[in-house]
Amino acid sequence: MATPFLPLIQGGAPLREDRVRQLMTRENAIRWAPLLVLIGLIILFTAINPAFLSQRNFARIAIAASPALMVAIGVTFIIVMGSIDLSMEGTVGLTAVLFCFVFLATGGTLAAGAWVAIPVILLVGALIGLVNGLVHVKLRIPSFMASLAIGFVGTGAAVLITGGDIVKIDDDTFRALLTWRIAGFPLMVYVVAAMTVLAWFIQSHTTLGRNFYAVGGGEELAHASGLNVRRVRIMGFVLAGVFYAVAGILQVAKLGQAESVSGANFMFISITSVVVGGVALWGGIGGIWNTVVGVLIVNVINNGMVVIGLPNYLQDGMLGLLVIVAVVLSTDRRSISFVK
Amino acid sequence: MSTFIKDFIERETISRRNFLLASAAGMTTAAMPGVFGNGMARAATDPALAWSYRDRASAYWNAIVSGGEAFTESIGKPKDAMTSLINEGSSEKSLADIKAFLAKNNGACAIACDANDSPNARPVAEAVQAAGGYVSTIWNKTDDAHPWDFGDNWVSHMTWSDEKPAEETARILFEAMGGKGGVVHLGGIAANNPAIERLNGLKNALKDYPDITLLDAQPADWDTTKAAELMASFLTKYGDQITGVHCANDNIAYGVLEALKAEGIEGMPIVAYDGNPEAVQMVMDGKLLATVFTNPHWGGGITLSLAYHAAIGSFKPSEEPHEHREFYGPTILVTAKDAAEFKAKYLDSVPTYDWADFWSPSNGGIVYK
Repeated sequence: MATPFLPLIQGGAPLREDRVRQLMTRENAIRWAPLLVLIGLIILFTAINPAFLSQRNFARIAIAASPALMVAIGVTFIIVMGSIDLSMEGTVGLTAVLFCFVFLATGGTLAAGAWVAIPVILLVGALIGLVNGLVHVKLRIPSFMASLAIGFVGTGAAVLITGGDIVKIDDDTFRALLTWRIAGFPLMVYVVAAMTVLAWFIQSHTTLGRNFYAVGGGEELAHASGLNVRRVRIMGFVLAGVFYAVAGILQVAKLGQAESVSGANFMFISITSVVVGGVALWGGIGGIWNTVVGVLIVNVINNGMVVIGLPNYLQDGMLGLLVIVAVVLSTDRRSISFVK
Repeated sequence: MSTFIKDFIERETISRRNFLLASAAGMTTAAMPGVFGNGMARAATDPALAWSYRDRASAYWNAIVSGGEAFTESIGKPKDAMTSLINEGSSEKSLADIKAFLAKNNGACAIACDANDSPNARPVAEAVQAAGGYVSTIWNKTDDAHPWDFGDNWVSHMTWSDEKPAEETARILFEAMGGKGGVVHLGGIAANNPAIERLNGLKNALKDYPDITLLDAQPADWDTTKAAELMASFLTKYGDQITGVHCANDNIAYGVLEALKAEGIEGMPIVAYDGNPEAVQMVMDGKLLATVFTNPHWGGGITLSLAYHAAIGSFKPSEEPHEHREFYGPTILVTAKDAAEFKAKYLDSVPTYDWADFWSPSNGGIVYK
């Protein structure tokens, strides 16, 4: 359950017919469907415009996907628990703005000590997540409403701090996250890769990670087994908050500026990506790798539609259609009795 | 039926009854001025002031508000004597807030307003007329709704024609491109009037430059992030064919610059629109060729001033010619040549305006196509 993408072929034993049949199960088909959708899209876009399949374009898609992936991974922990977190737009906006302010206040260049802004902002993200979790758990407000409200508070605070203005960061050392390339990909892509491995480690190799699945798979059962469900929930929101803060910092690295609306659109992109990747909204199913594939699918669609020259008035409709197709292919809807 | 459901229904019924009673009381109050004043305009000695606008999350609306506050202080009142009615992009909220403000002040109001979308201007004007208040609007109204059809109560409407300035920025861009090459346009939200006008401006200029091709024009929704991603996709599709970029506003230009920075591309000719402080700085630094300033500070102040002076009887709107009731706001083109001077005059210090000089900075009466 925790590792959805097992290697297809284990060991060097020759494939026998029954083994092939074993691999061709329905479960396996659904597990690998998101990745197949992604590969299918890449083949489709490349067939229409070969320029799509170039290292430079993949780097462009990776830059666009980087902050979105951090947000989506954050919300994956929550969705696996069967809750929802809609505070990302406010949290990303507020952490991005605060990051700029702390960065400028501590010297304005990484070398001069402004690196302090990074741990400070991660802590701020954790704090916002903590408040989010406490409001949800202690006041017994559904996560949907509690997190939406905290998101609004975050956006409001960002407006208050900036007065509606833009804050810019011009430090070349910090902007190396975007401008310095290793093997053709900017540094921020490697940061995101490292954070993704960390998220996978938390999910698969820590008690907390497994507890998310326990809560998502059956909260009453988890509770009856002696698990402190409320604590797990709060920890989930704290963890999500940290990942949103990373997204906030990367958003500044990507655009060189922050404003109160820096988090705009992340709610739609992240939730869509998570679901398209095959994480079930009812909890307990899917994980980090599904989210990675989901984010890539959404960003490949966004980039590909422009590259193949789809008229802009068709793009929104096509995105919606492809999302439905991806969800139909990648979720095991037979295993649930009803959908709400 | 479970007790819970029974209780719930009972509670809902009671609260709905309360709501209906409260609404009836509210409507009576709102109708009162109409009963006494019969919708006629009355001069008020001290009208309550309000600005109804979208939000405080953008430099543009903040400048509008600062203008409104500057006017309020110019008549010897504290800044907060001007009430902000923030509609958050909802026409329903815009109308409801204005009705509530009229009811609270018995119609003795001078309101400045962007109705959020065109069809909402008429109900706003009707509500203000029914209460005997005064309203001046900017940006949004339908072509068939005119202030002069609402007596003195709909004092004026100001909008900005973006086609001509966008054409001028396009010409500056094409000259910088040497009169040949490929240009891409990153636009605003496709259905927005300014977005349409700014693209039309570009297309008008293209007619005089046969060697320049418009490679693509797509909406970036006025958004920096979306603009960066769209520009990156354009680079994949057109690559070196792109030799110039026409942006529908400054925020989009910031995204385009960052997308180019990521690729190590420098010196691409780019033009923007809105004249925000950051963009003006970029024009001075040579990163942008031009932007267009619409002086929102003046617009915010003069719109409220018009409503106020009509309310206290300084002038009678119905005796003014049509071009004093529907007119274009000022636009100033900012290029490398004059950016420093412009910054010193409009951004570093806010000029002191004569808030009773309503029409001389404007750009003539609105022309309908």
